[in-house]
Parts: sequence; C-alpha cells; structure tokens
Amino acid sequence: MVSTAPLDTINGPHVSELWNTRNDRERFQWGSLALLTPAFALLVVLFLIPVGYAVYLGFTNLTLVGPTAVHWGFTGAQNLTRLRTDTTFIASLRLTAFFVVGSIIGVVVIGYGLASLLQRAQTWIRVIVGGVVVIAWMMPAITAGMTWYASTTAGGTFATLTGLNQSDFLSSQPLLIVTIANIWSQTGFAMLVIGAALRNIPSEILEAAIVENASPWQRFRLVTLPILRPTITAVVLLVALLSLANFSLIYVMTQGGPGNATNILPLYSYQQAFQFNNLAYGALIGNVMVLLAAFFGVLYVRVATRRS
Amino acid sequence: MKLLRITRLVAVASMIPMLSVAGGASMAGAASKSTITVAYPSVYAFDTGPLATKWWNQVKAEFSAKYPNVKVVYVPIPGSYQDVVNKLSLLYRSPSTAPDVAEMPSAQIGLWASSNYLLPMNKYLASTSWWPNFPKVIQSEGTFSKKVYAVNAGENDSALMYNKTMFKKAGIPVPWKPTSWADIISAAQKIKKALPGVTPLWLNAGTGSGANGILQGINNLIVGSSTPTIQTASGKMVVDSPGIRQALSFYRSVYSGGLGASVSDLFSPNAVTDPLTLFKTGKLAMALGSNYYGGNWTKFISAPYWSQAPQVMGDVPIPHFSGGGVASTLAGWDLAIGAGTKNAQAAFNFINVAQSATNLIDAGNWAGWVPPAKNYWTVPLYVNFAPPYNADFAKILPFATLSPTSANYSVWVQGMGQATGAIAQHPNTTVAQAVAILKSYVTNQLGSSAVTTLK
Repeated sequence: MVSTAPLDTINGPHVSELWNTRNDRERFQWGSLALLTPAFALLVVLFLIPVGYAVYLGFTNLTLVGPTAVHWGFTGAQNLTRLRTDTTFIASLRLTAFFVVGSIIGVVVIGYGLASLLQRAQTWIRVIVGGVVVIAWMMPAITAGMTWYASTTAGGTFATLTGLNQSDFLSSQPLLIVTIANIWSQTGFAMLVIGAALRNIPSEILEAAIVENASPWQRFRLVTLPILRPTITAVVLLVALLSLANFSLIYVMTQGGPGNATNILPLYSYQQAFQFNNLAYGALIGNVMVLLAAFFGVLYVRVATRRS
Repeated sequence: MKLLRITRLVAVASMIPMLSVAGGASMAGAASKSTITVAYPSVYAFDTGPLATKWWNQVKAEFSAKYPNVKVVYVPIPGSYQDVVNKLSLLYRSPSTAPDVAEMPSAQIGLWASSNYLLPMNKYLASTSWWPNFPKVIQSEGTFSKKVYAVNAGENDSALMYNKTMFKKAGIPVPWKPTSWADIISAAQKIKKALPGVTPLWLNAGTGSGANGILQGINNLIVGSSTPTIQTASGKMVVDSPGIRQALSFYRSVYSGGLGASVSDLFSPNAVTDPLTLFKTGKLAMALGSNYYGGNWTKFISAPYWSQAPQVMGDVPIPHFSGGGVASTLAGWDLAIGAGTKNAQAAFNFINVAQSATNLIDAGNWAGWVPPAKNYWTVPLYVNFAPPYNADFAKILPFATLSPTSANYSVWVQGMGQATGAIAQHPNTTVAQAVAILKSYVTNQLGSSAVTTLK
C-alpha cells in the first residue's frame, strides 16, 4: 500500500537530509582533510615548491659563478628562445628518444622472454637465472656503468669474445652500447612483474585455446597478450620514466661523448648547469624533462586507475 | 633518611653556581678564540690523498702554534677537478658556508672574483717577503683590474717526456732536441717503425679528460703557434685562426699516421694520468707531458715506484711551430680569502703561513707543482726530490702562458675536445672539418657575437 503521508515525514526527519545529497555521487568526507594535511604538506614542501622554483629559475639568468651568480633576475622568454635554436638540445631530444624507446622495447621483449621461459624451466634453472637477472637489476648504476665500460672498451670482454682485442665498441657505437647497458640493468624488473602476471593467467583459458587447436602464436596473440596488456603497459611506462632520468649510467660510461653522441637530456642539463655554469638554462632543460616525465606519469596513473 | 635526602639536595644545589662559573669561564675562553674555515681539495690537487692531509695538517699545526687564539676548521672537498669547482661554487653561495680561505684552480679565479666572492689582498701582500719573488706571469694569475684576489701555491707546466732507451733503439740521437713540430712527428714515425708494439706519442684528445686534457694537450701547441690567442682582450673566444689550424693539423698528422694512443685510452676520464703507467710499463715512447710526472715515479709518492725513471726518461721543452722557442701552458692552484670573511687578517695570516718556504716546497714535491717563488726553484730540497725533472720544469715556467679564466672558456674547451676527439676517432677528419666542429659548437652555445676568427 502506498503511503499518502507527506514525503518529508516518511522515515523521520533525516529524509530531508537525503533530499539534499546525491546518492549517485561520492560524498566528500570533510574529516579526511585533517588526515591528508601531513601528506599534502610534504608534497608541497618536497615537490611543488622545489619544482616550482626550478621552473621559475629556467626563466632567469642565474649562473653558478660569474656576475649573475649573485645579482640575477627574471629574463622572460630569453632562455626559451635559446632552447628553440639550440642544435645540441634538439640533437639531445633525438638521442633521448632513441635511448628511451630502445630501452622500453629491449626491456619488455627480453623481460617477457625470460619470464616465459623460466615459467617452464626446472626449479634450479629458474633460481639461478632469475637470481642473476635480479642481481643485475639491483646493481647500482655506477657499478653497472663501470662493468659495461670495462666490457666494451678495447681489451674488454666483448673485444676478447669477438677476437677483436683492439676494438672499442663503446666509442664506435656509444648510443647503442649505453642503451644495451640500460636494458641489461632494468630487465630484471620487467621479468619479475611480467612473470607474476603470467602466473596469474587462468590455466583453463589456455587449455581451452589448446582444445580449440590454437597455435602457440595464436595463443600468445589472442589470449596471453590481451591479459598481459595492463601489466606490460605499466612496465613500459615505468621503464620510460627510469630511462628518462638515467644520468649515472651514461655519465660513468661516456660522460655524454664521444662528442655529443650520448648526450641525452639529463647529461646535457648537468653539462649546462655545472660545466658551463648556466644554472638557469640547465634548469630549463630539466623542466623539459619534468614535462616529459609528467606525461608518462599521467599515463601510468590512468592505466593503474583503470586496472583497479 | 629524610635528612640525608635534604643534605644531598643542598650539596647539588651548591654546586650549580660553581658549574655555571666554570662554564662561563670556558665560554668566555671560547669567545676570545676566533675561527676560520679553510676549504681545499682533499684528493685531486696533491699526488695522493694522504699527502694532501699531511700537508694541510702541517700548515694547521704551524699556524696554530703561531696564532693560538685562532681556530682552524678544515672543509675538505673530495672528488675530481669539476667536483671541487662545483662544490666551492655552491659553498660560496651562502654566507654561512662560504669559507674564509679556499684553495682553488687558477682557471676559475676570474669567475669567483667576478661573482664578488673573493676579497682583494693587495694591502696584505705589501708586507710579505714572498710575493715579490713571484714572476709577473704568476702574480697576474689571480689579479683582475689590478686587484689581487688569489695567490699561487703551486704551478703546472708542460714539456715533452720521452723514453731515451726507445729513442736510441729507433736511431734518434739522445739527448733529443726537437726544434720544430715536424721533428716530433719524425721521431714518432721512427718509433712506430722500430718498435711496433709501442705507442709513439701520447697526445690528449676528446672530451673525457675535460679542461685538464685540453690544458695538457692541444693548448701547449696553440700557445706555441703563430697565433697563440684563445680569447681576445674583448672576451671573444677564438674559434678559427692559423694557430688553431696548425695545432689541429699536428693532431691529424699524429692520428692519421697511427702515431697516437687508442681511443679507449684517450677517452677515459683518467686519460691525463695514463702516460705515467704507460711509460713505466714500456708501452709509450713520448708524451706531451706535465711536470708532475717525475715526482710520481719516486719512492716517496708511489709504491711500487720506478727507480730507473731518471735514467730512462728524458724531458725537453716543446718547441714553437715555427722553430725554436719554448711553448707551455701554465695553470695551478691558488689560495684566496672569501669576501664575506669576518676574520680577514686571520685568513691572510693562514695564507702567509702556507706560503712559507718549507710549505711551498713540500707542496711542490707532494703535489707535483713548481713552487711559485723563483728563489725556491734551485733549493736542494726541491731539486733533489725528483731529479732532473723538478729543476727542468722550473726552467720552463717563465716561458709558460696562462689559459683564459672566463665562463666562456669552459664551452670552448668542450668544443675543442669534440674537435680533437673527432680527429682521434676518425683520423680522416680534415682540419677544416675539425675547425667546423669547434666553430659550430661554440657558436651554438655562446652566440655569434661571443666568437671570432683570427687571420
């Protein structure tokens, strides 16, 4: 039976409160502000202020030493104008793109390959190979850089294995070698993450595909890859961020040389700020890196949010 | 029990005034003692880190004995040349961290002086006994607009170092006396023919060894060329000149003839000191070398040391391009007072102690420097430390040329490193192509108004 009493008296006074709130929207909990304040304060102090200051510095004439080390000021778009015509910066962008994209492809392909093979391997093989790959991942960038420097210069491991003792692979193909070194140091991370995702693929789906006479390539393309897509996307974005900020490995191996052959953005920013004393211009190049990293960061958050 | 507790409380309470008097006395004592901070490179400048510590402790002990009311606090800076430069620059940015005294490379003095980080010392130098003994070129090293901002503590210069035994095997008369750059190429070619497994000539190239690689490499040729100018009086960087082309042509002759070291050795960050080991192990015949070589082979500096070095290794001045003459770069480490110091007199007193004869000669021997005061060049303590090298390189010092000290010079160094690196790695690179590399890089970084070409 439908009640004829006025609606605002049905179920008591709280009905009018319900009329003022939308049940199809998440209700804001004002009490959460107090709990979020410490984290927000840290975010402001440790991130927003320093990054904001760095953005501002990019538009000044601040130097590390010299007349404008003490008396410096805002110069508007002067540094931006210089950036647009800086051929070394433009070349550095291309080098960075090669380094990042090459690292992503290498890390994902080799990481997936290792994860897939180790899934089928005997336990002792899985432990040894997995352990070695993880050790390479955990190695500090400076150690990895020194290892690859010693291996790829004349008289090193590569030269000895190929029988070309005087060959200097690092000097002849510097960008390729530092990219391979970066792939080597990050593959362990991809192997672990993709390996975990592979183990979570329901076996019934793969068995059903086998029953349907699907070939290994079809099973990979139509079953495994779609299920792994979110994981691979997350790995791609994280490797991109790690590679974009990779300074130590390349600095130890080549210092950005020979010439400008490996002068990716982090090294060029350092060179401008601390070798040429142009702190402001170095900060502007760093700001470009922050924008690129922010782009990848936003993509990662969207992928992660969509998964949850 | 209660009486005992009260007694204890009274005993403690009565001690409080005595403690505060004692504390006040010690505080009063501390207040009368001023403090100066001294920043110095703890690893890079001296031949070894322990020798740097030994020297600085020696100076501190001498200063503290003479000035007991002044406390010295050291700020050691580890790392490479660039690390020292960057760290000092950062220290100077804040009054709370700016050192009262700092040891700094001569190439950077102009930059710090123009930043108003350094205090002129003219009024203090007038009363010293050592300043008038510095040659004019060394006095000018820390002088800008007639104000002396830094005083030298030790210099580096360059000469050709060669293996006498190898030269004799190659049929080159010893003692070797080249009178032109062509003589150097000719000797290297004879070495290559007679001793195939030996690198004929070490000639720094590439960007790996930074400013020191250029200083101990191509700059020694440019200052001995027909146009030795690297930076004009108006501040423009020279990116093309007959002198630069002569020097790059020498590089091309060396590397296209297979007379130089491998790029693996040349492009390493430690390249500048590689000849020390290569000479010792019999893998190198000659080098455009520096005065610190000789001391590094002595028992005092290295273990194992090279006892045969004085018999095996000879040295001879680098000739000018046109023949004869003495060509060498000049660079060193200087002591300066911070502009914001509250103890200027104490800071200068520290520098005065560091500049004593014993301390300067010890620094010369332990850091591979030539002492700046010419009356120390013939002192047996210095001469006999690394014979004959210490005496020989001291004789070259009056002919040496200072490198530029402007911010733009570091960009020129990078460009020249790329030009010489291109020749070393790709020996078919022509002189015109190498000049184009230098010109385009420096012009791109500094703008066309900051560069010039000399005819």
